[in-house]
Amino acid sequence: MKQRALWSAAVVVGLALTAGCGSAAGPGSPSGGSGDKLVVWDWKSGDAKAAGYVAKAKADFAKKHPGVEVEFVAQPYDQYYTLLGAAVQAGRGPDVILFNGGGKIRDRTDALAPLDSYVAEDKGRLAGWDAFTKAGKIYAEPVTLQGHPLYYDKGLYQKAGLNPDAPPRTWDEFVGNCGVITQKTGAKCFALGNKEGNGIEFFLSAMGSAILTPQEYDDWIAGKRNWSAPDVKRIFELWKQVNDSGLNNEGPNSTAMFNDAFALFQSGKAANIIGLMSDVGHWKDFAEFLGADKVGVMDAPRVNPAAAPSLPYDGGIGYGVAKWTKDPKVAADLVRSLSSTDALKAFYQDGGAIASDTTIDVSASGPAVTTILSEVKTGKPALHVALSSKTVEEMGRLSQQLLSGSITVDAVVQQLADSEKTG
Amino acid sequence: MSSAGPAVRGPAEAARPSSRRKRRRLRAERLAPFLLLAPAVLVIAALRLWPLLLGVNFSFTGDGDRNGTAVGFDNYLALFGDPLFRTALRNVGLLVLLLPVAVAVPGLLATFVYLKVPGHRLYRAVYFFPAVLSPVIVGAIFTLLLGFDGPVNTLLGALGLGPVDWLGNPAVAIFTVVGVHVWATFGMALVVFLAGFSTLDASLLDAAKVDGASLPQTIRHVIVPSLSRTIQFVFVTTMIGMLTSMFGLLYVMTSGGPAGSTYLPEYYIWIQQGEMNKPALASAASTALFLIMLVVGLAQIAVLRRTGRED
Repeated sequence: MKQRALWSAAVVVGLALTAGCGSAAGPGSPSGGSGDKLVVWDWKSGDAKAAGYVAKAKADFAKKHPGVEVEFVAQPYDQYYTLLGAAVQAGRGPDVILFNGGGKIRDRTDALAPLDSYVAEDKGRLAGWDAFTKAGKIYAEPVTLQGHPLYYDKGLYQKAGLNPDAPPRTWDEFVGNCGVITQKTGAKCFALGNKEGNGIEFFLSAMGSAILTPQEYDDWIAGKRNWSAPDVKRIFELWKQVNDSGLNNEGPNSTAMFNDAFALFQSGKAANIIGLMSDVGHWKDFAEFLGADKVGVMDAPRVNPAAAPSLPYDGGIGYGVAKWTKDPKVAADLVRSLSSTDALKAFYQDGGAIASDTTIDVSASGPAVTTILSEVKTGKPALHVALSSKTVEEMGRLSQQLLSGSITVDAVVQQLADSEKTG
Repeated sequence: MSSAGPAVRGPAEAARPSSRRKRRRLRAERLAPFLLLAPAVLVIAALRLWPLLLGVNFSFTGDGDRNGTAVGFDNYLALFGDPLFRTALRNVGLLVLLLPVAVAVPGLLATFVYLKVPGHRLYRAVYFFPAVLSPVIVGAIFTLLLGFDGPVNTLLGALGLGPVDWLGNPAVAIFTVVGVHVWATFGMALVVFLAGFSTLDASLLDAAKVDGASLPQTIRHVIVPSLSRTIQFVFVTTMIGMLTSMFGLLYVMTSGGPAGSTYLPEYYIWIQQGEMNKPALASAASTALFLIMLVVGLAQIAVLRRTGRED
């Protein structure tokens, strides 16, 4: 009798376990499934700073489609694309998906529905569409703008007896100022973290417009890249030269960009840093340590007299619609709500991001933001965003070799040209 | 094998005028082993072998635009044409070469503990301590310690030695990570060694002492020969540990860098699948890693068999 009771208990437990397995893989999970529920994947909505944004977007969507339920599933960012890849491979991912602009979304457009017919009304109001466009089709609507302004510490410039409101215009002037700052304050010229290989992306995009001619720049973005051109080589030579002449902090290859390099700038150990516009490593983070009025943004100092420095930026993150969703029109409406002016205003204020909606008033956040926003109109897409993920990854490794002195600039541009051909 | 007995005897017994019940019982007896084995076999076949075959099959399909189409050996050609994967394989070779060091460290320390150097009780506990820390924590601690402006370089500077970019120099980083891995895991091997020592015949050591043997002589001629089986076992387990559990450390300490110099096959698979969106290429790399592990595993089984025979 006792044994029979044990057996039935074991069977019940076993059934319960298999039932659990069944539902984990069943229709209830990631896929949106039913027509009156949309599942959104992102890495933002779990963040307390994004609560206001999500609430505003949901309210806006509820006005348009009161009967449709929206579920946000926040995934950890460092595994986001791995998890998404598995879901896409299984053909049953979420309905609405958050993407980084550039290679991250372009590599995955075969899982997405083109949005051109749904988002026409928003095209004038928002900036940064290029990063979510492939072969003339739009695959996501921008939420934030991401770019690489050259930030400087006005306090250090002042301490060194330089005018913090008249930043250098040419590279020689810039290096000269750095010499004075290092001598007077002990601070390095640049804070650089290249442990992840991101440093070169920032450098390429921030300095590119000061080295390439406008024609070369536009050709690069259009996909006509000449890696052996002297100006392109000059970018990588300058990258090496900056490090070799001691302008960077020590050991950039073992310094993490996120967040050791930013910490160096915030603690006054370096006068300049190529940072971001949104999310982290940006005006809001720096202002918390240095004070909003001490954070300056300058145009890239001109290296080539024929160059025309401009702010490099693209659409940062944006929501796209999976091609397997039941009703793309409803999903696209949710995407539009996620980029509505009210929602984006909350994102800018709470999250510290430059929103894609350029009509938002930012004057309260200090001179850095005002400068950035004034340059958005004349800005151009960032050089590294135009490259494939594979080439960017390879460039990261090659940049580390350049810093450690184990490769020549000629070999680097040759390998990158080869990578573009095969990639 | 065991079912062969009744199977052979079956027809002979059936010829006899015995009852049907006996025959049925015999058939049940013949089927019982298969029935009892079925759950285990099904679990292995469905959850291990089948996915393995799917993965191998998947590695012969394409990525991106060629998703789902058969591409023959293209992924494998791409794999061996990729300098990064070759670096990963080279690093596996390097791990094999560094194996003796990883075994010698716990072996020597266990010897000292066994020979009761002053404070040996404390050391025994302290040496084991890192083994309970997760690789992520160990990695984070050593990333701080070994940073360019970290305490280790400060100490070296005070001694008049130049700073070393432990994690930023492509020629140094892999040795740093392996060193940290050895530090983090040698506690387990130490315990195995101490267990081996407990079977050591103390009279041999006494005899060596009486004969006036020095410490190196005692280690070489008494301890190493008596512990040969323990040493072989530690070799095998350390090898497995190095090939399968360095991902966490690599992820935290170097992210495969600098310049891809600390890539291992596992890390390569993860990057290709997650970051590069090339699951088929990642499957090909997984299959290659599986074959490597198969060769290593078979070699280890051969070693263990030979050791077993010495008994």
